[in-house]
Amino acid sequence: MNERDNIEKEAADWLARIDRGLDDQGVASFEQWKAASIEHRITFIRLQTVWRRADRLAALRRPRPEIPRPQVGLKWLAAMAAALLICAGSGFGYFWVHKSTSQRFETAVGAQRSISLADGTQIELNTNTLIHTSMSPGIRTVKLDRGQAYFDVVHDAHRPFVVIAGNRRITDLGTKFSVFRDGDRVEVIVKEGQVRVDVITPGSSDAPVVAERNTIVMARNTETLMVAKPQQEIENELLWRSGMLVFNQERLADVADEINRYNVRKIEVVGAARDIRIGGSFRADNVDVLKQLLRDGFRLKVVDEGDKTTISN
Amino acid sequence: MESELEQWFAREILPLEPMLEGYLRRNWRDQSEVPDIRQDVYIRVYEAALREKPFNSKHFLFQVARNLMIDRLRRKNVVSFDSIADFDTIGAVEELPDLERWTAARQEVRILMDAVKKLPPRCREVMTLRKIDGFSQREVAEKMGITEDTVERQVSKAVRLLEKALHGTRGVLVSGVRRRMGRLGLLSK
Repeated sequence: MNERDNIEKEAADWLARIDRGLDDQGVASFEQWKAASIEHRITFIRLQTVWRRADRLAALRRPRPEIPRPQVGLKWLAAMAAALLICAGSGFGYFWVHKSTSQRFETAVGAQRSISLADGTQIELNTNTLIHTSMSPGIRTVKLDRGQAYFDVVHDAHRPFVVIAGNRRITDLGTKFSVFRDGDRVEVIVKEGQVRVDVITPGSSDAPVVAERNTIVMARNTETLMVAKPQQEIENELLWRSGMLVFNQERLADVADEINRYNVRKIEVVGAARDIRIGGSFRADNVDVLKQLLRDGFRLKVVDEGDKTTISN
Repeated sequence: MESELEQWFAREILPLEPMLEGYLRRNWRDQSEVPDIRQDVYIRVYEAALREKPFNSKHFLFQVARNLMIDRLRRKNVVSFDSIADFDTIGAVEELPDLERWTAARQEVRILMDAVKKLPPRCREVMTLRKIDGFSQREVAEKMGITEDTVERQVSKAVRLLEKALHGTRGVLVSGVRRRMGRLGLLSK
């Protein structure tokens, strides 16, 4: 066995020990081993990446039976089904059904809103968003009809927190995440912890996926894609919560699309100007700063007409 | 327990591994030496990052790889202008569109599952209980009626076998669509 194999064996042994649980003394010896050489550190990081990648296998875990599949437009029935499942045979079903509460929250274009649920969960709604919440003793369900919402969930293993967006069900596994929905397209951004994303089209047999922190999940029809992102990019994606939008050398046409989500007066970029790349941060509702920058900085034509602004070379 | 630099390395450098290995394999005659060279490249990159993190990780990684191959040729005394000129230029690597490694999620689970299936029986059972069912090592030991020490040894073995089985399968290149509004559009293709 050569030296490199030996180091790999040691790194794997450490990983297994850490997975079992280290006491303070163990942590100290591990730090010592890592500090001994860069090769130790690199070998360990590589194996750890593999080990963490295997966490995705949790997607194959059978869903817990107490999580029902709520259906669009039938939230009362869903809440009832949830309550009945939990209380099956106990005779308390009737009372539980009446303890469940359902509410509707909406924001207009350009508006944002924070909501605190009774369980302590915080929800932040972005522009032009509509959700329905349904809280029952066995399950907490939020239906995202349109727009984007950020969830800081108080985890409760006995009372799952589920977001329904289009044909996707996102189940909280102890986490902070946002969900964006535009018709049949759904995007989930995981800031902390883990979420599970299932397809809920009847008859679909697609395996659910598990997304960890700093991951973006994109879903459409039955396709699901995932990508890991640097933490900074995830923070930028979620900056709308403080009213800011951040762009990193992106096409002006795409920037306009994003800004238009927040404003009734729409920006249209035509011609070659569409491909100009711009970066920086703007307040989502302060389009004037952007227009000024484009006019003075990029020498573009900015014409306001009716309820739209046209930008061209 | 995990330093900021270690996180940086896992996040910025390791995902480039399939690309790096392709580059080394195209440019190095003795393929059996490639894993060794890759490891040396990593060490150099990490050492440099200890002083200062490179501005462009990808560019820096391939520059280190190229220099290292040249050094090795020089030491073997086989360096010639031809052999160096034959190297893919860093520019060629740089000009590749900045593909994001989108993982087709279902495919990823299948790849992982196939890798687990290939493990020896006891190893496989430990991994199934630990990673799919999410039991702790202690719980796995109880369920299988074996000691925790044995479980720990199986985990150590499993992670090394998984590394070999998954080698080069990290992610599936789909396309480089960056904007959030455009991103989902690629799915309909």
